[in-house]
Amino acid sequence: MVSIEIDAFTRVEGNGGAEVIIENGEVKDVKVKIFEGPRFFELLTLGRYYWDVPDLEARICAICYLSHSVASVLGIERAFGVKVSKEIELLRELGLLGELLESNALHLYLLVAPDLFGYSDAIRMATKHGEIVKEGLAIKAFGNYIREIIGGREIHGINVKPGGFGRYPTVEELERMERQSEALLRLARRGVGIFAGQEALGAKPVHYIAVNGYLYGDKLIASDKDTFDYFEHIEEKALSYSFAKQSRYKGEIFMVGALPRVLLKSEMLTPMAKHLYEEYKEKLAQGYVSLNNLAQAIELVYALERTKEITRELLDKGIDGENVPIEPQEGEGIGYVEAPRGVLIHHYKIDEKGNIAYSNIITPTAFNHAIMELSLYEEAKRRYGTSDESTFLQKLEETVRAFDPCISCSVHVVRL
Amino acid sequence: MMLKLGVFELTDCGGCALNILFLYEKLFDLLEFYEIKEFHMASSFKEHDTLDVALVTGTVSTQRDLNLLHYARNHSKYLIALGTCATHGDVQASVEGKIREKLEKVYGTKANPMRALDSTPIVQHVAVDYALPGCPYDKDEIYQILMNLAKGVEPPTKDYPVCIECKLNEYECVLIKRGTPCLGPITLGGCNAVCIKSKVGCIGCRGPLPKEANPAGEFEILKELGYGEEYIRRKFKTFARGELRW
Ligand code: SF4
Ligand code: SF4
Repeated sequence: MVSIEIDAFTRVEGNGGAEVIIENGEVKDVKVKIFEGPRFFELLTLGRYYWDVPDLEARICAICYLSHSVASVLGIERAFGVKVSKEIELLRELGLLGELLESNALHLYLLVAPDLFGYSDAIRMATKHGEIVKEGLAIKAFGNYIREIIGGREIHGINVKPGGFGRYPTVEELERMERQSEALLRLARRGVGIFAGQEALGAKPVHYIAVNGYLYGDKLIASDKDTFDYFEHIEEKALSYSFAKQSRYKGEIFMVGALPRVLLKSEMLTPMAKHLYEEYKEKLAQGYVSLNNLAQAIELVYALERTKEITRELLDKGIDGENVPIEPQEGEGIGYVEAPRGVLIHHYKIDEKGNIAYSNIITPTAFNHAIMELSLYEEAKRRYGTSDESTFLQKLEETVRAFDPCISCSVHVVRL
Repeated sequence: MMLKLGVFELTDCGGCALNILFLYEKLFDLLEFYEIKEFHMASSFKEHDTLDVALVTGTVSTQRDLNLLHYARNHSKYLIALGTCATHGDVQASVEGKIREKLEKVYGTKANPMRALDSTPIVQHVAVDYALPGCPYDKDEIYQILMNLAKGVEPPTKDYPVCIECKLNEYECVLIKRGTPCLGPITLGGCNAVCIKSKVGCIGCRGPLPKEANPAGEFEILKELGYGEEYIRRKFKTFARGELRW
């Protein structure tokens, strides 16, 4: 038995690698190893006053901190039975759109594009294809601008609060968002053409899972048309070779992320994004995990169009800036959010004083751990012996990258 | 002569490494002086070489982290502990308990095949040439520091509390006027008091102010406002557990 080690995936967030096990000249198994150290977020929040918790949970991941803040706030509000206004709902959605723009653009233009153009990174790629890198950066910077206004900072802002916000955006800020989303649409449309070109890599998942609303909701949906709470059908298990656990849906491997979102929720897309979805429908339906990149590119168009819709609606109506008062009481609640990489769950039980008594957080990369491993296995099997070693390794890395894995967030899977 | 730069990420949220990419065009300005030899979040390029400057983010939370940290230290002339994880331990170091107990609670077993350690800041393990806290740090600050180093100047260290920047921005004091718990008076400034702009209290993410801070005074103020001692203590040590001053 021999094995090929990928010491550390590059151009992914966090620390992880893989081991491809070869027996009698054949790929026998692949292990995806997450060796980023555990950070014990659920232990960190136990006993803490609810108000302080979203700010701490944000630190799980920088690329999608706002998804964590929102999921945390939703879980807390549901535990208390708090209902917020339409305005607050729209502003939260706006924040999540900013995050989708920032994260998808980072992934596509800085991490994936160098593979398509044959460079080791976007900085080196910029010498020949500067305009593409710059376009991606422009979209990403706009996403960050929205995160800064809604979330309070580009990274780890503390403006998203149970019951509302610390500070509400001004008319000028909303107008600027409306203008910029319009201006960037053309670039995002061009991006769809660029990322549609990637070859099929990895496995085809048996199931896709997403949240019932496009960016957040109160239940999960699956490709077999079920609507459910995560603990009904999803099971996790710990592994000896990884700090991240693996999950199964009704005992089978599934995927979360942009591809599941556009496939399961195409009817919720905005006009231009829907049009693009129709154009690539057959391709997307092939289901290979690398099509996640194309789905992310379509989502950039969606996010810009939706940002325009929301800012217009808020500008027409005017901002009230009213928070909903909260009286802590004993309760249990789950927040379901679509982080850019897929389904994110924050589940809490809170005691009568408002302190966290139980907390369970499941992140998209943990959900995707099993399908990632299967994808590497299938890709390795297809290629072993037919491509040279550097292509072999390159394609395995590309397969992993398609998941846009965010490894630091995958290691907090726990049930207490 | 181009300076050789490496970015090393130990266990963390990725924010301090990501923040470098958020420099946008300023990143390209830096690249006129620096050549990136290692930055695994952003590049597949890697060259084992002696570095002029190493930026290290995160806490030492596994044996692998520790090895990587020693590698970075042994291969660089100037090492910067970047972000509160690296300088003070950040949130993960504030989780109570021994590693085996924590592993048991989370993974259901005391076995530790991946060699996890209790999280500690890197400054506890190696000598650093510069420590820049912040969760994350202010990105203009790292830009200035790297520019200074490129010009052969030792970068200055900040030594004033968040309150100063709050006053400069003319924000209303949330601690006195609203009774919101705010750690601004005892937290190192440099973030432009960004959280007070959002009308919420500083949670201390840049770590304690090293010199004249008066944590005992802050403790009394919060107690008078009606916050429990345990609550205040936890708040104080969230980002800087290892720090004796808090
Ligand atoms: S200091 Fe904060 S932003 Fe930086 S890596 Fe640590 S948790 Fe992330
Ligand atoms: S105000 Fe406090 S919590 Fe906010 S960024 Fe500054 S130091 Fe961190």
